[in-house]
Amino acid sequence: MKIQELIQNLGLKPLSRFEDRDISGVFISDMMSDAMANAKSGNLWITVQTHKSIIPAANLVDVAAVIITSGKTVPQDTVELADRHAIALLSTDQPTFDLIGKLYGLGIATS
Amino acid sequence: MTQCQHAWKMTNAQYGFTVFERCSHCHGVRTYYAAQDTWDEYREGGCTWSIVENAQTLRFDLECEKCQQQVDFKDLMGLMYCTSCMEDCEVECAQKALAPQKTWILAAFGFLPHAPETEISAARLEILTDYFNQRRDTSRSRVKILPFSLIKQVSLCHGELIHDIGMLSPEPFPERKPLF
Repeated sequence: MKIQELIQNLGLKPLSRFEDRDISGVFISDMMSDAMANAKSGNLWITVQTHKSIIPAANLVDVAAVIITSGKTVPQDTVELADRHAIALLSTDQPTFDLIGKLYGLGIATS
Repeated sequence: MTQCQHAWKMTNAQYGFTVFERCSHCHGVRTYYAAQDTWDEYREGGCTWSIVENAQTLRFDLECEKCQQQVDFKDLMGLMYCTSCMEDCEVECAQKALAPQKTWILAAFGFLPHAPETEISAARLEILTDYFNQRRDTSRSRVKILPFSLIKQVSLCHGELIHDIGMLSPEPFPERKPLF
């Protein structure tokens, strides 16, 4: 599945410009050090962390998209950094648990 | 004898804290890795050291899955993402030069104050670069890791250090204080 298809399926809100690409699995963590160690290329990174340093961390490990859950407000500087590097930054009002259930239902799980 | 085409994996990963502390007398800054979260103020000679910030982090080594060569990165404090904040900074120049090839630049920091004298070698930074590129789809983009000594003026740099700051606070973290 690609990011645009996922946005349509789950009603996610895109916050940045990005190039569409395939999704290879899910990674859930609120720690950048954890993402640096364990996220995989093409993963969806699900987090409530909104500080702009999530963008360099996401870019370093080549995740397909970052999804901010629970309706957290994303600072403008985070959006601008995502825009500049064409990182897909998405948001949803859904709690992480609910989103994970829906992703699992779509056949997207940890990789 | 053929040279190994290394396939790096992270090994010996240890989660802990990068402690940033400052002396209230000499205003010196130093950083170190600690396994535990600590906020103690202490005296050492004429200095009184207070914690400025604790960032959750990990330290690790890399190991080649083919030849089992291990490379120690315990002197790596962190990676800073170039945000193109200073026009005549060598890191930004590299970022501009490599941007058309979709290569993103990071600067590797060692622990202060010894990092400038005991800089992480170019050979080890090449290995670190290879490791992160091996983890990504390099047909889309790449990363390149440079020494932080190429930053024109660290105290003015607005690069984004990839660290987990404020993670232990029950309150939302409003804004990061300058660390250097």
